[in-house]
Amino acid sequence: MSHTGYHPVLDPALAPPFPKAVLPVLRNPQLRKNVAHAIDVIQAKRARLVTEKADWQELRTSGAAIRDHALANLGTYLEQFEDRCTAAGGTVHWAADAAEARRIILSILKQESASEVIKIKTMTSAEIQLNPFLEAAGVKAYETDLAEIILQLGNEEPSHIVVPALHVNRSQVRDIFAQSMGLQNLSDDPKALTAAARSYLRKKFLTVPTAISGANFLVAETGAVAVVESEGNGRMCLTLPRTMITLAGIEKVIPRFQDLEVMLQVLARSATGERMNPYTSIWSGVTPGDGPQHFHVVLLDNGRSSILAKKTERQTLRCIRCAACMNSCPVYRQTGGHAYGSVYPGPIGAILTPQLMQMNHAQSLPYASSLCGACYEVCPVKINIPEVLLELRSQVVNQERRHPTKFFDPMYLGMRAANLAFSQAWLFHAAQFFGRMGLKLFTGRDGWIHHLPSLGGKWTQTRDLRGLPKQPFHTWWAARQKETK
Amino acid sequence: MRASLFITCYNDTLFPETGRAVVRLLERLGVELDFHPKQTCCGQMHANTGFRGEAFCQAKRFVRMYQETDVVVIPSSSCVAMIRDQYPGLFEELGNEELRRQLATLLPRVFELSEFLVDKIGVEDVGAYFPHRVTYHASCHGLRAIHLGDRPWRLMEKVRGMEQVPLPNLDRCCGFGGTFSVKNAEVSSAMLGVKLQDVMSTRAEFCTALDNSCLMHLGGAMHRQYAGMRTIHLAEILASTETEPAEALR
Amino acid sequence: MNVPPASRTDSRTKILEEIRAATRTTANSIELSAAYDSIPRTYQRTGRMGAAERVALMIERLREYDADVVETNESGLAATITLQLKASGRRRFVAPQGLPSDWMSSEFEWNVDRGMSAAEIEMCEGVVTGSTCGIAESGTIVLHHSALEGRRIVSLLPDWHLCVLYASRVVETLPEYFARFQQLPAMATYISGPSATADIEMTRIKGVHGPRFLNVIMVQDIGTE
Repeated sequence: MSHTGYHPVLDPALAPPFPKAVLPVLRNPQLRKNVAHAIDVIQAKRARLVTEKADWQELRTSGAAIRDHALANLGTYLEQFEDRCTAAGGTVHWAADAAEARRIILSILKQESASEVIKIKTMTSAEIQLNPFLEAAGVKAYETDLAEIILQLGNEEPSHIVVPALHVNRSQVRDIFAQSMGLQNLSDDPKALTAAARSYLRKKFLTVPTAISGANFLVAETGAVAVVESEGNGRMCLTLPRTMITLAGIEKVIPRFQDLEVMLQVLARSATGERMNPYTSIWSGVTPGDGPQHFHVVLLDNGRSSILAKKTERQTLRCIRCAACMNSCPVYRQTGGHAYGSVYPGPIGAILTPQLMQMNHAQSLPYASSLCGACYEVCPVKINIPEVLLELRSQVVNQERRHPTKFFDPMYLGMRAANLAFSQAWLFHAAQFFGRMGLKLFTGRDGWIHHLPSLGGKWTQTRDLRGLPKQPFHTWWAARQKETK
Repeated sequence: MRASLFITCYNDTLFPETGRAVVRLLERLGVELDFHPKQTCCGQMHANTGFRGEAFCQAKRFVRMYQETDVVVIPSSSCVAMIRDQYPGLFEELGNEELRRQLATLLPRVFELSEFLVDKIGVEDVGAYFPHRVTYHASCHGLRAIHLGDRPWRLMEKVRGMEQVPLPNLDRCCGFGGTFSVKNAEVSSAMLGVKLQDVMSTRAEFCTALDNSCLMHLGGAMHRQYAGMRTIHLAEILASTETEPAEALR
Repeated sequence: MNVPPASRTDSRTKILEEIRAATRTTANSIELSAAYDSIPRTYQRTGRMGAAERVALMIERLREYDADVVETNESGLAATITLQLKASGRRRFVAPQGLPSDWMSSEFEWNVDRGMSAAEIEMCEGVVTGSTCGIAESGTIVLHHSALEGRRIVSLLPDWHLCVLYASRVVETLPEYFARFQQLPAMATYISGPSATADIEMTRIKGVHGPRFLNVIMVQDIGTE
């Protein structure tokens, strides 16, 4: 039972299509308020810092170029990373898909006889649905990121990739903590709530010997992992335990240590509107006497190499998971993340999720956009999200139109009819004439249409439509030409 | 100066008054206008919904139609964005060398209306008179795709009698998004509601823009809600004078 | 979806094959280097401020994070450290193995880290460390965990951290740090203010895990420029 009473399905294979999934959200004023408030705050912070940074556009250009170069030479850089990481004392594993990644992680934990594991927030582990798998196998995973604790204890699903609990407000957090931590007089002041989380976790940090993290970046040159965070739970997890497992998508690799000078600058400003996030930890392999003495990296493919192969779509993999796109998205601002039915919501989710599913699922997501372009404008690595959305839309159409049932779908019928009409001027003009005649049935005395059937009804749900004017422009022009002769 | 008007499929059908205003305005400025009688559509609706093959047919037709034209003027930023941003990719994928060459020579000759006025004719004061309180909505294609910048404001500033009120959250999408408005009608309406709040807060009499697509969406809601505000394409404001006020005012 | 279990080597081979097919590159190391070098880098890579301005910015940024910053010179350093420790009201401190003895006044209890356990460090009230450098633009303190800076755990567990930063090691921009430290560290921690979260209603709360109190001593060890 989720605490906010809302039960989204974040499995793209099972989630309802976006237009359906948004309906309960749009009718939830509290949720919409929580999301809009969070979005407005981050947007304002980001805008301030981006304005301040005179070389922001140059950083974006370099950010995109560094990521493109890494992707274009991904095999070489991954092998280099593996080589350096292993030389530094780490063990690198390769997982072709989610199931294999889960098995590898579990087998490492079983080797350590682990019954518990502490986790630094990693969306990649949510992508592979790790926690329930571990739980079923007898290993309890404890989230240590404040937002992730809120979600875990409140039985909630993440709705944003940087601030996953933004749909939960302070009194809801208070209720979740009071209940699960057994704290009777807990106030809803964020300070008190944070203090409660701090003491709750301290014991876990000091006693649990195995930890799982994600990676913001993998540095090929040094075999290093970089973890970017704010709270310090990351530093706790990667310093105190005996065994550390880092799960990372193969696209996370950057060529050299120096490239962090671009990536860190754009990530902090884009993600949290700060010049630099509080803590960034970078480490290669194992250092005797300092930190985990057993270190494993699990490299995850899970559909990424197939995205890499596609010309327009490859840019999707540049993503550094900053969430600036969803913070700027007018659609996301109204719907929050759950409606996307994936751990990756918003604009990046709309292109990444269906592709990770090899276009077998989540086909409604490329349409979950008005193509306004705000995301492209803010993306620190210049992913042209609208361009990829359009490419994916054409793939969905090509898939769907093969189905005999789609032949009579009003959208498909309409598109074919319109194309025919546009192919010849006389057909277009005839369509205008008959269209006007047909719509006359629905046109009121005031010259406006208040209700239409079928697809048109989706318009008239909330908007009127002015009745078609008697004389299209081209007719007026032709008449005028005649007059002047 | 000679120019050919591409009215766009939806203006031709739904907003002929915008076309009439463009004609009145440009002829007043001494432009010799013509109108290709066989024009239909630029292909945007099909392209944006994923019907690339169909969009290509329309794009091909457009490019061939305007091969010999000096200048094409289009009172719709989204159609201009389609031509500039998507035609090259379409022709790369589905076209041939000849089409690509034809497109390359055509692109510099295609202008959105405000671009045509400010850049090509070089005029900002078009002699307009529109004594009303107006707020301007920056459509996303005009703002981010073709980067109209301050052109609309430079034109609006010179309109006599007009009181311009800035629109809060100017760069936020109104929610139209083409077929998005029906495929995701509820979200589109939610975005529209938010946008309408900002528009209504200006207490303007008219909300204007350079795209009738956004205006149809905003105006449709205004009409449904008896909001007491109307929409009008910027061309109609610019065409309006003391002796010949905009059709919307008569 | 049922995928038959693949051995580690099989997946590695399969993934690399897919990647190679997808990228179709056969760049040798010279070509790769050339491609890397042709990445455009027109962002700001050098500082524009003079030393005094740069150090002042560093201090300003640190104070924006509510870090307590005091300035001193090299000769006054030991005394300033003692003063700061006294002002903290704390007694029991952790010292990295390489901390100079004249920094460790006998007024306080010092536990030198020669492999202390987490529980032992938890008993201490604060820690004093050196630092590798500072980055003024973002108010970032860089630790490479040398003997003077200590193992990662010692600057993490205690609630109070006093960090000594030399003005000569403050750079203005992040790229300058990367240019300066060609010898890549095995471990690095970049600290930009005390830990914080904005996960609850976007309200920024300081001090989640990690030291809630950050104190910095800026040692003015460069001549006026």
